[in-house]
Amino acid sequence: MSDKVRDRLSGLAWVLAIFVAIAVVWEAAVKFFGVPLFILPPIEDVITELFSSPALFLRNAAFTVATAMGGFAIAVIVGILLSVMIVSSRLLERIFMTLLAVIHSIPKVALAPLFVIWLGTGFEPKLAIAAMMAVLVVVVDTVAGMRSVDPEMLNLARVTHASPLAILLKIRFPAALPQIFAAMKAAISLSVVGAIVGEYVGGQSGLGYVIIVAQGSFDTPRAFAAVLLLSIIATALFYTVVWAESLFIPWHVSQRPRPAG
Amino acid sequence: MADVLSPALQDRPAPDKVPDVHISIRNVEKVYRSQRGSVVALENVSLDVAKGEFVSILGPSGCGKSTLLKCIAGLEPLSGGEIFVGRQRVAEPPKDLGVVFQRDILFDWRTTLDNVLVTVEFLGLKRRDYEARARSLLATYGLAGYENRYPWELSGGQRQRVAICRAMVHDPQFLLMDEPFGALDALTRDELNLELQNRWFADRKTIIFITHGISEAVFLSDRVIVMGRNPGRIIADVKIDLPRPRGVAVRDTAAFTAYTGRLRAIMDDANAGITHAGVLS
Repeated sequence: MSDKVRDRLSGLAWVLAIFVAIAVVWEAAVKFFGVPLFILPPIEDVITELFSSPALFLRNAAFTVATAMGGFAIAVIVGILLSVMIVSSRLLERIFMTLLAVIHSIPKVALAPLFVIWLGTGFEPKLAIAAMMAVLVVVVDTVAGMRSVDPEMLNLARVTHASPLAILLKIRFPAALPQIFAAMKAAISLSVVGAIVGEYVGGQSGLGYVIIVAQGSFDTPRAFAAVLLLSIIATALFYTVVWAESLFIPWHVSQRPRPAG
Repeated sequence: MADVLSPALQDRPAPDKVPDVHISIRNVEKVYRSQRGSVVALENVSLDVAKGEFVSILGPSGCGKSTLLKCIAGLEPLSGGEIFVGRQRVAEPPKDLGVVFQRDILFDWRTTLDNVLVTVEFLGLKRRDYEARARSLLATYGLAGYENRYPWELSGGQRQRVAICRAMVHDPQFLLMDEPFGALDALTRDELNLELQNRWFADRKTIIFITHGISEAVFLSDRVIVMGRNPGRIIADVKIDLPRPRGVAVRDTAAFTAYTGRLRAIMDDANAGITHAGVLS
């Protein structure tokens, strides 16, 4: 067994152990203190609930995943394009950075009802909110990454008459990739939050909608089941980005094998 | 191109009249202006380097030798004077130039071979035409088998060798080297000096080599130019008359130590001149 596989397995064992510990404490607390079902259901009720209507959970989970991933993709693409413009022109930097700061300072939750008015109760407003939640972190980190290129590298580019496009694609962008991935890790979690916020305020789909409906009928096990599913989804999405990072920037210091000892 | 020279220069021949001159630096001034006043980095620097000559520029830190290199490379505009590479007046980085910087600045995301070929890509040349040359260059620098390694898998000496290959892959006739071995340990530095000397002896590029190492400068050069600081200027031009190719043993000869002793004395005097401004000038 290679060190890498052993590392992974021991990491997985830790995660499982922590989850089991949480479940035990949860179960013990519910039994010991006699907490009523509608406040905190025992964990077996939550899991039973999850498997009692798998189609419902699956359908709504799929909707939330699609919204979060769609919003994330838009945020990353738009964010990187904006960053390129910001890095290439002082004027564009002033314009976009001001606009982004203004947009970011508005709580997106406050905007969510307006998006329903503008875009209806379907997929689009949720996508827009998810993307808006995540875009600023992408821009800020990507700009920082593209700016922090070693000036000597740019001198090298100048003495070899590199075109502006080559400098962008062959120096600035790869140099910024570590920061871009750091931003993407934050962005994926933010777009899940955005998706849920969107589902809270309008529409009939998604785990956010399931939670709101369950709350209305004091169906706490169902709400908990949706939250549990949501946290599993968010974690899985986060680790997908981590995995992509190891695939795309194997050369970065954070990805290199750790020295022994 | 008609050369319009300043009156002070009219007694000196234009570069195209002297067939052997490759780089001609004439009355170069460089002043950095900021809100806190201006700093004279280079004052009246003039120097001719012949085709195929190995010239070291030796000086303490802050003497403007790196600034001079950036001016020759076309990376810094001049405040006065002119620089010719061949018949071309330097306004932007000259073509047919290779630069080795102080740090290796390899791209972490490229393999060794791709790092060498980045010059070719940036110059807009075809990778295919230069891949064989890149591989053979790497081989001459003892890096055969390392083509697909990433920079972090290489030692400091290997990394700087890759940087040298990157500067030479398009076969420029002129190389600028800015303290390329300054960050390396003494043993690796000696090795690289020997390699560079042998390589230069084989293909006779024109090289301007910036350093603060006296022994390194004498070992490598045909001529050592000594610079002083405050302001940065040339204070001595010493021809090194030692037989080529030189081996490591040349360092133990009386002639070699005579040169290093003389250069050290010049530099010490110049340093003393800082505390007693005006005494030496």
